[in-house]
Amino acid sequence: MRHPKILSIALAAALSVTGAAQAQDRPAELGVGVFTFTSGPAAAYGMPGRQGAELIIEQINAEGGIGGVPIVPTYVDEGQGAQGVISEYRRLAESGTVEAMIAALSSGNCLALAPVTEQLQMPTLAWNCDTHQLLLDGASSYYYRPNGNTIPEFMAYALYFLAQNPDVRRVAFINPDYSFGHDAAAIVQATLQAINPEIEIVAELFPRLGASTYQTEISRLSAARPDVIFSNLWGADLENFVRQAMPRGLFRQSTVVLALGETILQTVDVPEGTIVGVLGDGYWRSPEATEIGRAGAFAEAYRARFGEDPVFPTMKMVNAFLVLQAAYEKALADNDGAWPDSAALIAALEGLTVETMTGTITFRGDNDAPVDQIVGTVGAVEGVDHPAMTQLTRFDGSALMPPMGTDPIAWIASLSPEFFAPFLVPATAE
Amino acid sequence: MVSTLIPLFVDALANAAIIFFVAFGLTLAFSVLRVLNVAHGSLYSIGAYVAASFGLWIISAGLNPWLTFPALLLSAAFVAALFGPLIEMTLVRWTYGRGEAVQILVTFALFLILEDLQRLVFGVSSLYADTPMALLGISEIGGIIYLNYQLLLIAIAAVALFGTRLFIRHTRTGRLLAVVVADREVSEAMGINTRRIFTLAFTLGVFLAALGGAMATPTMGVAPGLGADTMVLAFAVAAIGGLGQIEGAALAAIIVALVRVLAIYYVPELDAVAPYIVMLLVLLVRPYGLFGKPPVRRI
Repeated sequence: MRHPKILSIALAAALSVTGAAQAQDRPAELGVGVFTFTSGPAAAYGMPGRQGAELIIEQINAEGGIGGVPIVPTYVDEGQGAQGVISEYRRLAESGTVEAMIAALSSGNCLALAPVTEQLQMPTLAWNCDTHQLLLDGASSYYYRPNGNTIPEFMAYALYFLAQNPDVRRVAFINPDYSFGHDAAAIVQATLQAINPEIEIVAELFPRLGASTYQTEISRLSAARPDVIFSNLWGADLENFVRQAMPRGLFRQSTVVLALGETILQTVDVPEGTIVGVLGDGYWRSPEATEIGRAGAFAEAYRARFGEDPVFPTMKMVNAFLVLQAAYEKALADNDGAWPDSAALIAALEGLTVETMTGTITFRGDNDAPVDQIVGTVGAVEGVDHPAMTQLTRFDGSALMPPMGTDPIAWIASLSPEFFAPFLVPATAE
Repeated sequence: MVSTLIPLFVDALANAAIIFFVAFGLTLAFSVLRVLNVAHGSLYSIGAYVAASFGLWIISAGLNPWLTFPALLLSAAFVAALFGPLIEMTLVRWTYGRGEAVQILVTFALFLILEDLQRLVFGVSSLYADTPMALLGISEIGGIIYLNYQLLLIAIAAVALFGTRLFIRHTRTGRLLAVVVADREVSEAMGINTRRIFTLAFTLGVFLAALGGAMATPTMGVAPGLGADTMVLAFAVAAIGGLGQIEGAALAAIIVALVRVLAIYYVPELDAVAPYIVMLLVLLVRPYGLFGKPPVRRI
């Protein structure tokens, strides 16, 4: 009996030494791959995201990093196309220097990356790919999305403009020609049909991504005489469209809804009355963000560093890093301070609740975290030297998310007008 | 009915005007040099970048905004003077007599170099220089508001077409160009300095491409990737009209633009492919394009 006792003491000692070693055995740095557009027309949207990443990483590292480990980012330009993005993702994942990814901006790239995250078992946070198709099958183990889903996002826009003007009967679309644009049109159309089947879609235009001119599309929209023109163009495409459409009277003829309009309010004199918003809740001036209290200081630091206010892609990126930080901290706590491997990090992400700079998210079983949706109207705000968002409405993201495992468009079509009634309240808050 | 068709034609002509400049330059250079310049689209975008930068500088310097109009022309002239002789006398001249594959590879390499050069010099952000558009105001045609600048573009394209025709028919240099196009060997035998004519024709082609880019600037954002898009469309137009055919390029530009506009109005899904469907149909019926003729076989 003596030997077994000695053995058990030795085993316990060895285990405690191993545990202590694990707690101290942390990497010198936490490599994170960050995917965004830094070239081409999409860079107008992607660069604020990258700048947000730079600043939040600096701030996290200045406070000691994550669990004492500084974040070291590797930036990848999505402007090289999906094949290049996949290659870079693989290269980084297999290099052994990267433990997590924040990817990507484009929904097209995210859809292309989804099977690769599984194959390489790489924890990945989708910072901007909102397409509802991404986590639709509920089979993603390594892809988590803390930043919004196109279903509540675009349903909210339809609800907002119908709440402002219930007499809308003719609606037109001008969206980019890929999944994001087509999905948005389908969601808005399904929502409108569910609320009022008499609403007619009078034009559906899908110019290619990166088009330099929209003059013919503007003529077509003018000729269609819609009450509302909905667009989820983004980046330089959005700025281009607005600059070309304004002098041709499109904003006077119809109510224009720019789903990603907040991104251009500092650079284009968007007419008052235009409905604009952010995707998700990433508006740093929102009352909820002010209440949380971190966004204002971040915006001030951002302005001092980059000479402009942060826009919602910035906040989406920042929030993704806060979620990553929270996941690591939870994983460290759950594992007695041992540095988490990818399985431990994924375990920490499951059901995680995080207070970001602009709201609170909780991951569902399908790895999606419903995010509230903020929509507003362009107007003047005291103390802001450019057009800003007024008459804000914050839609409850959870209430507009389809149940897991359902077809989102069929779910919207199944909703009764009574379901929508509580949302159809005109915004009054300044 | 007529009132609904008028906007359609105005849009088509405004589109055709821009495409025409580029396809015209491409086909002019091809008719003289027999070199298909794949880098032609880059010269369009360089013209756009230079014009936008020049226009923005005029405004930021507080100069008279109407100076942005001559700035468009000067920008195109600057690009042509800088790049035309330089490219023709070095890379393109080296390809003469080396086969079409070599010519395409060399000019494609040049295209890649010029695309990167633009990113290096002008960055990756879009430039917006719409002062000329704002100065000219708007008009209502068929119930739709158009920019007067779009109408000006149509007029300038028409002037360019007829002006070039007059230049070729009624000036000595123009006639020399026509002679070289008709028979290069006989021209050389008669003492015409064909090298000089080649440089001139290539530079004129560069000027037209750069002018197209410059003229388009006030109605669009200038961003990387502009050259490739324009190039593909210009090739389609030149092929439909018949390579080397100036009037063919003009007619083809109108056809392509009209088809694109019809697609956007009635079948938006076909917008991107419409020009190439037309090209396919035309080349099936007339392999040398609408105005092209099969080469004469000399025995």
